[in-house]
Amino acid sequence: MDSVVITITSGKGGVGKTTTTANIGTALALMGKKVVIADADIGLRNLDIVLGLENRIVYDSVDFVEGRCKLRQALIRDKRAGELYLLPAAQTRDKTAINPQQMIAMINELRDEFHYILIDSPAGIEQGFQVAVAPADRVLVVTNPEVSSVRDADRVIGLSEALEKGPAMLIINRINSARVRKKDMLSVEDITEILGSQVIGVVPEDEEILSSTNRGQPVVLNSKGSAAQAYRDIARRIVGENVPLTMPSNGSFWQKLFGRA
Amino acid sequence: MISIKGQRQGILILFSDAEGATWAAQLDELKAKLEQSGSFFSKARMSLDVKTLSLSLEELQAAKNLLEEHRATLWAIASQNDKTIANTRRMGLATDPNKEDPPALVNDVVAKENPFAAIADGTDGLLVQRIVRSGQTLRHPGHIVVIGDVNPGAELIAGSDIIVWGKLYGAAHAGSTGNDKAVVCALDLRPTILRIANMTRRVPEDKKRKHPKPEMAKIVRQEMNIYEWTP
Repeated sequence: MDSVVITITSGKGGVGKTTTTANIGTALALMGKKVVIADADIGLRNLDIVLGLENRIVYDSVDFVEGRCKLRQALIRDKRAGELYLLPAAQTRDKTAINPQQMIAMINELRDEFHYILIDSPAGIEQGFQVAVAPADRVLVVTNPEVSSVRDADRVIGLSEALEKGPAMLIINRINSARVRKKDMLSVEDITEILGSQVIGVVPEDEEILSSTNRGQPVVLNSKGSAAQAYRDIARRIVGENVPLTMPSNGSFWQKLFGRA
Repeated sequence: MISIKGQRQGILILFSDAEGATWAAQLDELKAKLEQSGSFFSKARMSLDVKTLSLSLEELQAAKNLLEEHRATLWAIASQNDKTIANTRRMGLATDPNKEDPPALVNDVVAKENPFAAIADGTDGLLVQRIVRSGQTLRHPGHIVVIGDVNPGAELIAGSDIIVWGKLYGAAHAGSTGNDKAVVCALDLRPTILRIANMTRRVPEDKKRKHPKPEMAKIVRQEMNIYEWTP
């Protein structure tokens, strides 16, 4: 199978890597693709919580690497989205539990069976990041429209270039068009001017994300909100559809008047 | 007798094997150069070319220690002498800096670009056609020319001039081996820190402008100033 391994990273913590990974993975699965989303944040795993699969973890990637289970046994199927599987990280270990070679070998074993393997990278640029990008065919960098997160994105893009992962693509997360207009926030143009990278998606700030994360329900499953739509658009761009980039609005006049779907 | 060259793989020090060129004398010369050069070699990855000199393990180790004192890392020694090659291997170092790649460093992404020979003044240069990103250091004993932006958090260290055909928002150190004739030019000159030879200055915050003009920083009468850059 022609599989694509995509690592989602950011340098800075708290920009929305895990939510982004969960939603893009779910959206790809809802489009009929066979998808694994792998949590590379060993010791601080979150992807299982965002997906609402926490209490189904029996084995994790470290169990597989250390020979306690087959890879199949570590995969947890998310029945809400067709062929979507989670490969959880170990919570009781740290980033040294898996080295880049082991990561590459483990992900290669999944390549035959899945269309897309998304890897949720930990924050930072140390070993955890190096392990998460080692098997990647493509790197997506999540950034928020503020200076420190853009600076860290620049660092991470440089590192992934040095690792010869090709040009990283950008996801600009939590943009608020009203605040951009007031110049409180960097605009998409400001960010691309600094980073010189191609943007694969712009996700608006959306209150729905917080509640859906807490409920373990990725927004793409059932929401018509603007963030959910932005994630679906990114998934369509990943599979090669030509979806024009639209600047999402954070609630137009009419949406505010009638309440959001 | 020794000479220093910038290379794709980092910095190369060429030793002489001419008659009368003793190892001890050349190490003294290297020591003097390292001391003159301030921070230029700090964190740099270096290789040596010792030609046909026959060197013992202790002699090679002396060179390695000297470089480490200046916070540089020795990773390869090229030689045409079998005894020297054997001793290099015993130290666990590479023996062919042209064929092997230096160890990767997360914090010092050395340019993969090839150096060029500048015609104007005979000094080598490094031409880089890309964005130099946060956390990346470009280091060259000659000129550095960047076609592209230098982002905040990036660092350029050149023995001679720095020319940026783009925005220079990172740190720039021209004339880092003590050359106070060196200049720093950019289409938008707003580095976080600007150094020429041993002088340092900060660029005022209020320099943020809508339509930046090309500018050149240089030392005139012991003072670093910024001038309009008109070729």
